[in-house]
Amino acid sequence: MKHILFVSLKLLLQRKRQTLVSILGVSIGVAAFIVMSSLMLGFQNYFIQQVIDLEPHIRIKPREEKQNIEPFSVLLGEKPVEKDKILGWQELMKEIERNPEVIGVAPRLVSRGILKYGVKDKPATLVGIDPQREPKASIIEKFLVHKSLQRLETNRTGVILGALVARSLGIDNIGKKVLLVAPNGRTLLATVEDFFESGITNIDDARVYIHIKTLQSLLDKQGEVNEIVIKVVDVNKAERISKELQNSISYEVESWQRAYRNFLSIFKIQNIITYMIVFAILTVSAFGIFNIIMMTVLEKKKDIAILMAMGFLRRDILLIFMLEGFVIGMLGAILGSVFGFGIQEYLESVRLDVEGLIRTKGFVLDRSPVFYLYALIFSLFFSLLASFYPSYRASRLNPVDIFRSQ
Amino acid sequence: MKIIELRGVKKYIGQEQILKGIDLEIYKGEFVAIIGASGSGKSSMLYIMGLLDKPTEGEVLFEDQKVDFSKEMKLSEIRNKRIGFVFQFHYLLPEFNLLENVMLPAIKMGMAPQEAKSRAYELLHMLGLGGKEKRKLYQVSGGEMQRVAIARALINKPSVILADEPTGNLDSKNTKAVMDIFKEINQRGTTIVMVTHELELAEEADRVVEVKDGYILRG
Repeated sequence: MKHILFVSLKLLLQRKRQTLVSILGVSIGVAAFIVMSSLMLGFQNYFIQQVIDLEPHIRIKPREEKQNIEPFSVLLGEKPVEKDKILGWQELMKEIERNPEVIGVAPRLVSRGILKYGVKDKPATLVGIDPQREPKASIIEKFLVHKSLQRLETNRTGVILGALVARSLGIDNIGKKVLLVAPNGRTLLATVEDFFESGITNIDDARVYIHIKTLQSLLDKQGEVNEIVIKVVDVNKAERISKELQNSISYEVESWQRAYRNFLSIFKIQNIITYMIVFAILTVSAFGIFNIIMMTVLEKKKDIAILMAMGFLRRDILLIFMLEGFVIGMLGAILGSVFGFGIQEYLESVRLDVEGLIRTKGFVLDRSPVFYLYALIFSLFFSLLASFYPSYRASRLNPVDIFRSQ
Repeated sequence: MKIIELRGVKKYIGQEQILKGIDLEIYKGEFVAIIGASGSGKSSMLYIMGLLDKPTEGEVLFEDQKVDFSKEMKLSEIRNKRIGFVFQFHYLLPEFNLLENVMLPAIKMGMAPQEAKSRAYELLHMLGLGGKEKRKLYQVSGGEMQRVAIARALINKPSVILADEPTGNLDSKNTKAVMDIFKEINQRGTTIVMVTHELELAEEADRVVEVKDGYILRG
């Protein structure tokens, strides 16, 4: 093996410029892979984590079905059958709580509504929660600016506004009074007790938390709930548990994966596109390696012939050039990792308001070391793949043909 | 003792028959010159003797052992340890300095780098290249390069040196120097087989083998 190292490293070192260009090519691919993976998965994981923490892992709600309202029965003053509430919700909750895979269960009453503050108004989703039970089913307090969830218990007319709802209405302090208008036209003068900031734009821009009993009274739906939210031990099992639950109850059961399936599908497509770009970069750098080794082989036919004459095996020749590819891939991966790390450090230090699907004060990065490992594996794979054909060609040269051609 | 023996060796390249039934024995300690016109088949014969090429027909024996040309590992081992090659063109690797070029076969043989280095130093000194060990190829003359190639051929103490027109690119002064080296090596016990088309040089050998149109005319 010493003789292979001796020749291979010497060839690489004596062609510093070409070697350096190849290493740089690989390192750009590696750095791109590390940075893009950490940015993308950082964003996606942040989104998913917020959703998992904030949103119920499983939600039970009445089935969304159209009610056939007979005009004749309306004329007779009959009320249509209510299908927007969960009947026997207390018994249902007790039953669900017995499941060892469930951490907590909480009831909710959800309705549309309008908030008015001064001359401004904003449509919102009113979420009636039980402040005692809700923390068992979601990590809502984590997202409260003043951590005052229990103020909803002491002040039954208190509300917690989504950060963007508050911003739209021009409210920046707690204690302000807002007018809450229910779909039935009833109103409530509520006090802002806290702000709620999850970082997920569509949630912060719509949600308003209120005590469930207050909302029931406002909507004239005493004792009614239209959502049961469940927190499970293992979030990845939410889909399975929801399917099991679905088999035993007539209401719609939805896991967080299903509720956010559109986002998760978009993430998958996003990942595919990103990895295709990285694949393209690595392919280009692989062609760089292919090119340099092919050129070396073509230029060094005479040298290969004399090496064979002095006893080098075809396998030795193959390994000499494959080793070049390996060293380029390895050094490219190391340099690329350093670049990638530097870019990650820089991106993490950048302060800017990101407003989109999520809102953050900078880039959200996933700094998992596994990206470095994958980058190393990919760069070595591409480098060895690129160096194989020219190395094989070199090993198949016939020394006698070369000596004769001189 | 026979170092190399060719028995009824024929060689075709495509449709053309280069060697038409060669029988030749090279004995230990001999200095044999193979002469012939260009295209006579003398180089093809040398490549077969050096186990670089296999005959289309016939047998090759190396140190009384029949050579199996299908065993690449064994052929490489013989070429590395028992045969030294010197060609018309030096075939030194430009990335390496003179010392490293000489060391290469020894490193391939598995010799410790330090030992290979000291042996390479010794050989370069013996061939009048002392003090130039660290030089690159572009820093030495053609004659010196050919001497480096001879040192490289000698480093593993081979039993035979196969030289294909070793002086073909050299002026008369360097030609004489190379021939003197070959004679000295031969006197120390190494068998030399040299292909040349210069009769004058061939006459300095112990035996002259003349090849014409793929046959041995004399020797």
